[in-house]
Amino acid sequence: MDSKRNPRNRPVAASAQELSRRDFFSRVGDGLYGAALASLLQSDLFPTSIALAASNAVPDLRPRAGHFPAKAKAVIQLFMHGGPSQVDLFDPKPLLEKFAGQPPSRDIANDILFVGNAGGMMPSPFKFSKHGQSGMEISNVLPHLSRHADDIALVRSMFSTNFTHGPAVFFMHGGRIFPDRPTVGAWVVYGLGSENQNLPAYVVLDDPKGLPTVGIRNWQSGWLPPVYQGTRLRSEGSPMLNLRPPDGVPPGVLELERSLLARLSEAHRDSRPGQPDLEARLASYELAARMQLSATDALDLSKESEATREMYGLNDEPTASYGRRCLMARRLVERGVRMVQIYVEGQIWDNHSDLETSLRYCCNKTDKPIGALLTDLKQRGLYDSTLVVWGGEFGRLPLSQVTPGREKNAGRDHGPTGFTVWMGGGGVKGGTVHGATDELGYKAVENRVSVHDFHATILHLLGLDFGRLTYNHHGLNEKLTGQEPARVVKEILA
Amino acid sequence: MSRHLLLLASSRRTRKWLIAVLLSTGAWVALSSGATGETGKDLPRFESEVLPVFQANCLVCHGDGQRQKGLDLRSRDSVLKGGDSGPAIVPGSANESLLVQKVSSGAMPVGGKKLADADIERIRRWIDAGALKQGEEPASVKKLPPIQLTDREILTAILHVKCLVCHGKRDTQGGLDMRTRASLLKGGQSGPAIVLGKPDESLVVRRIADGHPSPELQNEYFVRPVTSNEVEKLRHWIAGGAPVEVDEVLRVGDGPDALVRDEDRKFWSFQPPKRSIVPKVRNRERVRSAVDAFLLDKLEAKGLSFSGDAEPLTLLRRATFDLTGMPPAPEEVVAFLQDTKPGAYERMVDRLLASPHYGERWARFWLDAAGYADSEGGGGDSIRPQAYRYRDYVIRSLNADKPYDRFLLEQIAGDELFDYKAVKEPTAEQLDNLVATGFLRMTPDRTHEHDANFVPTRLETIADVVEMVGSTVMGLTLGCARCHDHKFDPIPQRDYYRFSAILRSAYDPYDWLIPNKLVGGNQKREPAHRELSCVPEKERQEAEAFNAPIQAEIKRLESSLKQLSKPLEAKLVDENLSRLPEQLKTEVRQAFEKPAEKRSTLEKYLVEKFRTSVEVTQKDLEERFKEFREPAEKLAKAITQAKNRLRPQPGIRALFDMGGEAMPTRLLRRGDPFNPGPRVEAGVPSVLREGVAAYKVVAPSWTTNSSGYRLALARWLVQPSHPLTARVIVNRIWQHHFADGIVATVENFGRTGTAPTHPELLDWLATEFVRGGWSLKTLHRLIMTSTAYRQSSHLDPAASAAQRDPDNGLLSRFPMRRMDADQLRDSILKVSGRLDPTPFGPPEGVEVTAEGEVLSKSVPAACGGGVCLVPAVQSAVRRSVYTLLRRETPVTLLEVFDAPQLQPNCLKRGQSTVATQALQLFNGEAMRESARYFAGRIIDVAGSDVGKHIERTYLAALSRPPAPAELSAGRDAVQALTGQWLDQLQKEVPTEPRQSKAQWLGLASFCQVILNSPDFVYID
Repeated sequence: MDSKRNPRNRPVAASAQELSRRDFFSRVGDGLYGAALASLLQSDLFPTSIALAASNAVPDLRPRAGHFPAKAKAVIQLFMHGGPSQVDLFDPKPLLEKFAGQPPSRDIANDILFVGNAGGMMPSPFKFSKHGQSGMEISNVLPHLSRHADDIALVRSMFSTNFTHGPAVFFMHGGRIFPDRPTVGAWVVYGLGSENQNLPAYVVLDDPKGLPTVGIRNWQSGWLPPVYQGTRLRSEGSPMLNLRPPDGVPPGVLELERSLLARLSEAHRDSRPGQPDLEARLASYELAARMQLSATDALDLSKESEATREMYGLNDEPTASYGRRCLMARRLVERGVRMVQIYVEGQIWDNHSDLETSLRYCCNKTDKPIGALLTDLKQRGLYDSTLVVWGGEFGRLPLSQVTPGREKNAGRDHGPTGFTVWMGGGGVKGGTVHGATDELGYKAVENRVSVHDFHATILHLLGLDFGRLTYNHHGLNEKLTGQEPARVVKEILA
Repeated sequence: MSRHLLLLASSRRTRKWLIAVLLSTGAWVALSSGATGETGKDLPRFESEVLPVFQANCLVCHGDGQRQKGLDLRSRDSVLKGGDSGPAIVPGSANESLLVQKVSSGAMPVGGKKLADADIERIRRWIDAGALKQGEEPASVKKLPPIQLTDREILTAILHVKCLVCHGKRDTQGGLDMRTRASLLKGGQSGPAIVLGKPDESLVVRRIADGHPSPELQNEYFVRPVTSNEVEKLRHWIAGGAPVEVDEVLRVGDGPDALVRDEDRKFWSFQPPKRSIVPKVRNRERVRSAVDAFLLDKLEAKGLSFSGDAEPLTLLRRATFDLTGMPPAPEEVVAFLQDTKPGAYERMVDRLLASPHYGERWARFWLDAAGYADSEGGGGDSIRPQAYRYRDYVIRSLNADKPYDRFLLEQIAGDELFDYKAVKEPTAEQLDNLVATGFLRMTPDRTHEHDANFVPTRLETIADVVEMVGSTVMGLTLGCARCHDHKFDPIPQRDYYRFSAILRSAYDPYDWLIPNKLVGGNQKREPAHRELSCVPEKERQEAEAFNAPIQAEIKRLESSLKQLSKPLEAKLVDENLSRLPEQLKTEVRQAFEKPAEKRSTLEKYLVEKFRTSVEVTQKDLEERFKEFREPAEKLAKAITQAKNRLRPQPGIRALFDMGGEAMPTRLLRRGDPFNPGPRVEAGVPSVLREGVAAYKVVAPSWTTNSSGYRLALARWLVQPSHPLTARVIVNRIWQHHFADGIVATVENFGRTGTAPTHPELLDWLATEFVRGGWSLKTLHRLIMTSTAYRQSSHLDPAASAAQRDPDNGLLSRFPMRRMDADQLRDSILKVSGRLDPTPFGPPEGVEVTAEGEVLSKSVPAACGGGVCLVPAVQSAVRRSVYTLLRRETPVTLLEVFDAPQLQPNCLKRGQSTVATQALQLFNGEAMRESARYFAGRIIDVAGSDVGKHIERTYLAALSRPPAPAELSAGRDAVQALTGQWLDQLQKEVPTEPRQSKAQWLGLASFCQVILNSPDFVYID
């Protein structure tokens, strides 16, 4: 039996459910179409928060319960490509002022691979202030997020192992520095399915300005079945091309076409066992039919009030693009989408030079929309059931990176040994600061959190046990954390 | 704490080979000489000095009311913050400030009204003094560590980067060549450029201080000014006697090498392939070729065997898709069924290998690997009008089964294979050799863009080529060693730059040619471009004949415009100068009439002062004379349209040796062009030594003007026992037949690549391939006639293969596959009878719809078959390989089905299955259009019998007749669909016979479903 159809690969065992997706598909074919179908789908077929089991071992996206109850039902991951600088954003290091310009200490120097461009210690050009009741220190360059200090938990002691973007991005997404492993998002929808069968379970909102580093491999399903990979929705223009059939094809014809296609597809699949791609294709057609009704609605921002649009920065050039995607993310989790990832173009946080201006550009683009997202989720009562995760693939060094003669344009080089991420929302204890880097912000020294710990914590907050969420691949029960030691960062849990 | 502060002063690298020049002060940043006093009370402030200028000129767009490009100029802080293009100013450096560049060049304010020089000077002074606002203290002067300067920092990192466009190998304006210390000392027409020890007497320093190059020159020559920091460094260097370092060259000898040890060379892929012994297997009757024995050996070790042979029609469909990228025609299906004589399968394979569509299909893979696109990439993504010649070369070469060693030789060094400069009318083969070098010109090259043609972008272009050659030809991730030694493979950074140096005699970043001729551009100066003009005379004449009437039209339009504007121009100038005294007016006019180089100092001043008054633009005229606007705009539009119709001058997008001495290649620390390290010489990765003779440069004997670097590389690569060349291509051919390579990471045969599943088979194939004269067609035949290839793709879930070979790594069955993007689009066109099989020539165009969908559209007749920018109407129905492949706007249907983003190239396409594909195929209008064509053609051929329609649909789309149950189900479906359409048509005003139209549309709906069905889209 092919591993992808292995009965052991049942994400989470739960009670049986009589309505299979095939039944559903035949209903589409029988002519239930249009708005009536949409409401039926929502209310009857897939009542939310009822755990449905895979009635066979075929991969699907029906919602299912986790290993234990959890507050968070959905994830919005704000992935910050390039490596945001912790000492300029979240991890103030006053000592850098004192030692400004000094060469790095021996142990830092020993860890730097390229001393050629390493300048002296460089204090942050930004000031920090205390915020909220917790008194969390956040850089003044993030004024909007600062208002949510009591809503988020900072992890100041993250560390990674790789100092180049590609491998480090793969590491943050899939737990290994190599491509072709499933990403966190793929694991999450494998484990929990989705609450809304009319929208992709795992939505990717990439920047219309360009794909991030490593491109579409940021949301791959690796050796997990392809139905678990992320689906890109466009945040400008029509969310998806050809969302509707062309005008002039009568509904009756469409119904007949669909039912005929369903019959042919099922016969084709049934005569070719052990081909998981065929199942995924069948599912993709079903999803396409349902999305016609729901995607347009989900991404239609004209339905939002002017106050909301203003809050997300949709009226200002620097924030409009990221703001749209944040607002879309809220609308998507509101509709039961399990996993939403928002990306930036290229790797904008890769501030090798002109630290002050280039970092400010990143903050100007994202800070206001992110602040609005947290505010909005809270005021709609969604924050308790949504996990928001912010971070990049690594941080940056507390020293300057200089090219001789261009000292004024100093930036910071990649720093994987210590950096900051934050989480907020469902199940997270707001106002927490966990872990610490050394006095200079170089290396995580206190309560160190590995990438595997980070992954384990995300799964835990969703009710999934990282040790039990497995998939049989090549005879091995693979996990997101692989064979590496991992621990849930309990200290940031509510 | 103490541990951290053990400060390590010696951690900065020591440079034993240089003559140190310790500067007495490092304080050349921060405040310029304008700074006075401790508190800076006298320094210019934003509010008093600059804001009034902005208020008068800029705030309409950047402040009050609107903020164009996100820029707000109302306060010092908002100026610092800047807009979409980043900060508007760099405090302390007016020269580096975007705002100053914009106003000095006249790019801002828009409308051609340049700021007064005094105002610009005011802004400059303010920025240079630190860009202070009211009540702000000047920043303290930062002491920077002293920097040791040699010619490397000065020449390579500053002067070479910024000055050689005009003062280098190609052009020595003013007689000055700035490439070496000696040539600087020699100087030009005005005397030595540098005076040792006396920076302030050195012409180069003085000219730069005078503002050379002027904004006009910067714009015209695409150069950037030397910054004040750099001038300071230059001064210090000259003051210190312009020291020259002993230029160490990183050589690689035969002796022990600290960076690449003999131990590193023992890794399997760095050893030459050995002829493996074909294993003996039990199940001998399943062995049709040695390929089978190697595979079966591993299967039997697991207690498995091959699956049974697939059905004949399954094999026909599989082989036809594999070799031609499309399904067989219905007639071919019938003929194959009727051929019952032995050897029918082999004959079919041979027939397909001889098909002209073979080259079109397999060219796709090679073009992906080469990074082929019809556009340059980058923001503008401008069209490469001549790229298609390389695409055609690849198709023709594959069809002719050109031996792979020769194929590589031509593509890497075709220009060094014969003395092309001495040949008047090259033969077809010689032309092919030149076109072949387009291989090294296919990855992105952003230097075509006006504002991107600088040394770092040029190095980027070269880096992409190195990465492409590394992955495509050698299976090495060479690109990983660009900024540092390779982290996993024994490829030191030194070797990256040695390899890169092979290309530098053709791609010299300090003597650059832009990638193609600008079409219809309005630039003052046409920079030299990297194309050869030796196309057949006939083609040139054709293009000229095509363009002549258009050019005449352009001329006519331009003169009409001139007639219209001339009197108004004179009138406006009169008005502009009306307030001047008569005497001055005459002088101004005289000054403008003189050629620039003959003007006196006073005249130069007058020209600068009154430039905007005298050199009035069309826009000025439109603003002043309302009645002029409409006819002028109309004419201008007509001119643009006519220019867009011009067919580009025929040329060859080739790579050729530039001749003469290239600038030395240096290792760039961290890949940074401003941080040059020691010199390197051209060479190949030093880890590859076993089984190959060393890389040896022999300059071609017939010409003194070609280095022979690339010829040496090509000859080094095609040695029969080269560890990588044959293995890498054999592995990729295998991948395209079996979905995965024997080495799954086809681009990476290094330590982080996957190990070969069947190393003995890989080596046997590699050696067999070389023995067979590097024939790709022989290799295809060898693979396709094996039992392994002819197996069924069916997997019995109960069989042991499912347990013991779950991922089919042992090939216990044939891998079922989805059509790739090109196969899908081409098959839809072929099946529906729309395909235009015309081969070769300029690509079809693309059109972006308002929704953002990119469609393939045929080239309008107005363009005479060339690449052009006139909007198209008709759908293009040629094969996808002949469709315009623009990096930024790939055809949506192809993109959705995983056509790669060639950045820079792709060796294995993705295989995603997502809902967007279903939307595209089921809802896309282009697909429905094809289904209607399909149905129409069936009715044309098969008359009105619905049963025959179903049969024909199955034969054409699925390459088999329908089973009886399928036939009756199909009949019912078509009838039901026809009924539904009839209902619809009865609601409309009849313009055509309803019954027959309903039949046609009903069958079209059925065809639409078949083209969406997995039976069509998957290949068993």
